[in-house]
Amino acid sequence: MVYLNNAATSYPKPDAVINAWQKAIRELPSGQFRSSADADGADILSCCRKRLGRLLGIADTDRIYFTSGSTEGLNAIIAGLGIEASRIITTATEHNSVLRPLYNLPGIGGSPVLLPCDENGTVSPESLEEKAKNGDFAAFILNHCSNVTGAIQDAGAFGEIAKRYGLIYILDVSQSAGCMEIKADEWGVDALAFTGHKSLMGPQGTGGYYVRDGIKIRPLKYGGTGFDSSRLLYDEDTYEYEAGTLNYPGTEVLSEALRWVSDTGVDSIREKERQLTDCLISELEKTDGIRIFGKYLKDRGPLVSFTSGILPPSDIAYILQNSFGIVTRAGLHCAPLIHEHIGSGNKGTLRVSFSYFNEKEDVDALIAALREMA
Amino acid sequence: MRIKDRRKSLEACTESGWEAFDLLTEEPLEDSDIEQLRLAEGSFLYMKQLKKPFFKIEYHTYIIKGVKGDSFFRFAVHRDHKEEMERLIGLINGERSS
Repeated sequence: MVYLNNAATSYPKPDAVINAWQKAIRELPSGQFRSSADADGADILSCCRKRLGRLLGIADTDRIYFTSGSTEGLNAIIAGLGIEASRIITTATEHNSVLRPLYNLPGIGGSPVLLPCDENGTVSPESLEEKAKNGDFAAFILNHCSNVTGAIQDAGAFGEIAKRYGLIYILDVSQSAGCMEIKADEWGVDALAFTGHKSLMGPQGTGGYYVRDGIKIRPLKYGGTGFDSSRLLYDEDTYEYEAGTLNYPGTEVLSEALRWVSDTGVDSIREKERQLTDCLISELEKTDGIRIFGKYLKDRGPLVSFTSGILPPSDIAYILQNSFGIVTRAGLHCAPLIHEHIGSGNKGTLRVSFSYFNEKEDVDALIAALREMA
Repeated sequence: MRIKDRRKSLEACTESGWEAFDLLTEEPLEDSDIEQLRLAEGSFLYMKQLKKPFFKIEYHTYIIKGVKGDSFFRFAVHRDHKEEMERLIGLINGERSS
């Protein structure tokens, strides 16, 4: 089997991550706050937060909170800010984990202002400036790396503009964390959501969000926090953001995954994945009937989207999986608005996405299969 | 051919607004089974040149697709026309018993 669907979830995981799973479920449960049975006194959560801080460029790691993933993190941020969608600017490249909360959350739901992208999926920072100076906006949400074209947005430039116009700057790093450098503090990011199971190499069901000190958000969930148990009412200065039982084993495994990413080196990971994407694009260009989206990007995340004149993306993905044992992904990729801008239509694209563990032979197998179909 | 079970496809998202099911067959699909599926209305595509040939029947309310040799095929149906899948299963399983 050739796995080329790492933008959905990475596979395989590093050996260190597999071993961490076994360790996490074998050992005495860690306390969090309801037991004194800490196995060795190690503070798994703090350790994981620190490792995240190093990879995400966040100094104040105590303000990184764990959730089930980016979707819950983004919901926590968007619902917690309580800003009406009509006062939020976002982009056509966003995933439904941003768009659906904006359109549906009680007290928020409405129509956000959308910045367009070009045919490569790139959003111009100037377009944010144009909108921001002509309206009463409170926040800006940006998808750092498109999960459809791989376009990487200029997060620093957007941060400068957001700061100039007093916008709360929210960055979604679901596709970029672990496979490219992120400098949240330097870019002026006020809030950020991440997932653990893509390029951070952790397990599904892990992730979280960061909110800069001074940004007040109302918690999405209330419940046990392990201290001050007699208190029932919370006001704006005493919020707690990690109520209920956390995914301790998952966080422990994520922490080991982060260590693997740091030890391997984000630059090394990026270089290997860049070689694979360059190789794939070069071969696709020699294959009849292929249209590549984001073909002219100077820099990209580790994925390539394309269509074929022969069959719709969903059929190609089906054939690749069932006739050739090659796993890809077809469709809109849960980012429904970008397709109108890049011209991929209502059937979307076929997406091939790499991890550090892919090799050139995987690209060769894919190209051979596509040419057999042609 | 007899359809013995169905399972909801995890890839339903690929057919926006549609639902997809994998219909499990008792035996791997042969050319005769694919021919039998053509009882369903719609345009027919058969890519025989592939090592594992791919077929597709497309109608405005459903899409049937599969690969020769697999013990399942996919039935994607618009959510307003889910009865089409029951009709096909009845047609296939009913024919065998008659």
